Amino acid sequence: MADTSLSQTEARSAPAAPPRVGRIAGILHRNETLRGYLLMSPTMLIMTIGILVPFLILLVMSFWTREGFGFDTTLTAHNYTRVWNEPIFGALLQRSFWISGVATVVTVALCYPMAYYVAFHVHRNKMMWIILMTLPFWTSYLLRVFAWKVILGYQGVINSGLMSVGVIEAPLEFLLYSQTAVIITLAHAWAAFAILPLYVSLEKIDKSLLEAATDLGDGPMARFFRITLPLSMPGIIAATFLIFIPTTGDYITPALLGGPDGAMIGNFIQLQFGAINNWPMGATLSIVLMLWISAIALVFLFVTRKAQERIA
Amino acid sequence: MSDQGTYIKRPNRPLQIYAMVFLFVLYLPILFIPMFSFNDSIYVRFPLQGFTFQWYGELWNRQPVWNALWNSVKVGAVVAVISTILGVVAARAITRYRMPGKSALVTFIMMPLVIPGIIFGVALLVLMSRMGVPLSLYTVTLGHLIVCLPFAVATLLPRFEGFDPSMEEASADLGENGWWTFWRVTFPMVMPGVVASLLLTFTISFDEFIMAFFLTGTDPTLPMYIWGQLRFPQEFPSVLALSSLILFVSFILVFVAQWIGRLGLDKDT
Amino acid sequence: MDVVDQLGAVREGKLSRRKFTKGLLAAGVAMATMPATSRRAMASVDDEATFFTWGGYDIPELFQPYEAKHGTPPNFAIFGGSEEALTKMRGGFVVDVAHPCNSGMPRWVQSGLFQPIETSRLSNWADVMPELVALPGNDAEGGNVWMAPFDWGQTSVTYRTDLYELEGEESWDMLWDKRYAGRLGSLASGGDAWWCGAIKAGVAMEDIATEEAFTKIAAVMREQRPLIRVYTDDTTTLEQALSSGEMAAAMTWNSSAVLLQSEGVPVKFARPKEGALTWVCGVMVHKDAPNLDRAYDVIDSLLSVESGQFMINDYGYGHSNRKSFDAFNEETLAGLGLSKNPQEILEAGHMQRPQTQEWETRMNETFEQIKAGF
Repeated sequence: MADTSLSQTEARSAPAAPPRVGRIAGILHRNETLRGYLLMSPTMLIMTIGILVPFLILLVMSFWTREGFGFDTTLTAHNYTRVWNEPIFGALLQRSFWISGVATVVTVALCYPMAYYVAFHVHRNKMMWIILMTLPFWTSYLLRVFAWKVILGYQGVINSGLMSVGVIEAPLEFLLYSQTAVIITLAHAWAAFAILPLYVSLEKIDKSLLEAATDLGDGPMARFFRITLPLSMPGIIAATFLIFIPTTGDYITPALLGGPDGAMIGNFIQLQFGAINNWPMGATLSIVLMLWISAIALVFLFVTRKAQERIA
Repeated sequence: MSDQGTYIKRPNRPLQIYAMVFLFVLYLPILFIPMFSFNDSIYVRFPLQGFTFQWYGELWNRQPVWNALWNSVKVGAVVAVISTILGVVAARAITRYRMPGKSALVTFIMMPLVIPGIIFGVALLVLMSRMGVPLSLYTVTLGHLIVCLPFAVATLLPRFEGFDPSMEEASADLGENGWWTFWRVTFPMVMPGVVASLLLTFTISFDEFIMAFFLTGTDPTLPMYIWGQLRFPQEFPSVLALSSLILFVSFILVFVAQWIGRLGLDKDT
Repeated sequence: MDVVDQLGAVREGKLSRRKFTKGLLAAGVAMATMPATSRRAMASVDDEATFFTWGGYDIPELFQPYEAKHGTPPNFAIFGGSEEALTKMRGGFVVDVAHPCNSGMPRWVQSGLFQPIETSRLSNWADVMPELVALPGNDAEGGNVWMAPFDWGQTSVTYRTDLYELEGEESWDMLWDKRYAGRLGSLASGGDAWWCGAIKAGVAMEDIATEEAFTKIAAVMREQRPLIRVYTDDTTTLEQALSSGEMAAAMTWNSSAVLLQSEGVPVKFARPKEGALTWVCGVMVHKDAPNLDRAYDVIDSLLSVESGQFMINDYGYGHSNRKSFDAFNEETLAGLGLSKNPQEILEAGHMQRPQTQEWETRMNETFEQIKAGF
């Protein structure tokens, strides 16, 4: 234990130390690169087996077609033409992006003040706050979805509450089995993914910048829009990505809470591998979803970068 | 300094109230789980019917629940250990060595964070079925590894980044060999990251559903088991009871950890 | 990606590493001891047979003889629909015993994934009702069978007698009743809903594969879709919605009505004037069953009188062992919509017919599109 605490104190004083590696690194460069790759290799092997290979097979399968019990392995773009021509696929994609998009905006907007509060106004027990905000995510996602079903349900908390107060006479039916239900649940379930990046980016903001803005006569609002918001942009972008992209493929929440109008593309992909039993079509839909996500992500990145440049 | 101090220190009432409401709403759905686990009805609905321990008693006798829990613990533990080890070597390689194409490699590892799980799930399912590998807890473990690795690397990278190579050189100068240096100098410094990664990956795997949905064979993980029980009211209250127990244990665990940590801090100051 | 470095980022500077490690060590110890509390689950389960079945059949009550013999119930794997199950097994999922229904059985046999059941190895076989065995396609070589019948019942309308105002006779029209738009529910699987749609559309079961039938059924399903609050494979959802009054009527199997009645909910399992949909489900043995002997024990256990009485009493399903019915009087059975003479029930309703794989796929695809609103 003694040497570790020693190393720790050294580490604290270390940042000022000049780089001494240059000469050795020059000689060992080739060797080092090799060692680096060697160290990376087990991880890369797993990722290759788990991502690259399945992905390539998925891509190949998307050009197959179903044939009775098996597959017709002649390559054809048949599935892609179907996705292009039949309105259902486009509509489901659009609906998925709409639901995820709204859920993302709602989540980030609701979590921002919370992250802001912890970053700027909590001085003791910050860690306790972070733990408190992430603790619910130690529980099963499924059960949380189910709990929302209880809350939004016909005789659920909201309906029975509103009825006992006399605001409504009959239960509100739009709460459950609707896109609203899916959005509410997604926003709740992914809150931790918004709070953490937002908090990290807000916490990093140099407080003296705020001080300087105040000294220059900025009010709280101006200070927020000129300093805090632009500087927390990386957190907002990260949160948006971390929520928007995975939720577009969600199928549990829509399956349990969405009702007939809340079905998303994920449900349809899952059906291709289940009841509809058209694996190649499922593969095609997965690829199409990926392409759309990449396109949207690129556009989003481009726009935010431009916006940031404008602000800066 | 005093000016900034007052600005930062000034309590912001509306924000405080917002934070309270936020936490309340965050916890509300989770509180219903234990609440209904004591409810004397197989249907989860209001009004509550009466207090009972019946579901906890039944839980004790539900062999499949215990099997599923044990499966999840096994998979979670294996995934946590493997993904953390792989995360450590990857993070070390990324921070320590100059490699061409490094950023591409990092992006590749991080990919599962930003790709819907369903795509990996079906891709692995297709791979396994083409190769004739039967679905089992091993396939689930592989799937969970893919999901957990980015989290492990992301947790460990900052640890290694904030770590000064001159320390290792100092150790090497003192005549230690590479492995010894890693063990005595590097490892203790990244230890908190390692523990955090273990806990994080275990939790993610324990709770993971989407990959498990496509990759589970005959042995269900706990989330898969719960999914099966959603179709079936009789057993659902005992699933709620089980979830309440898991909830309770995780709450206690995290708070005990926090409490012990604070005890030390208070003594220091 | 500092995004996820929550613990690290927060802890830095807040806690010294040593204390942090100590705290986590405590947590680690607690976690390590967690598996100890589930010690009882560590008993090897690898030698047990695996029963691949619908949710609700994975309970020890149906495996009393098996448990008596082996000390524990078999392993279970659960599916939501038989098509899903077949797909999963074709993807390489190996089980010992699986649980299809009569309409799927010939296709299951065709898939080549199953072996005939040697009826001589089943002690309860002599009591199995022969009407249930003699299903189309259930003839393996040597007088053996592909599927040993286990449960049979109906798909019909369960409705709240206090909420649903019946006009005239009970009928499938109840699920197309515009007065109750948004308060009707349906099973999501085409294996039930499409066939019920056929009954509603007046398509005879033997004509269901014709092009005309397809158009007709699709039309009634589209007509029904805006009225449906939720399509689900999960009977709990339908039962809960019926019990809370969220739904006034829903398409269910016998068990939902029986369960709701036992909870004191005023519901009735309708006997529609057009006839209900009837089905027979059974068990088949996988060709590569790893625990073949125990697979037969699973089947024998399912066919036992104990299991049968549980099925009739608690689920309201028919059972294939005729002795199971002896414990019940005619009145009780009639109340459950059952009879000691299964032929009576099966012939009064519409029995599903086996269809080709192409038909199943097309039907499922069409029905999923209709459910999604297209």
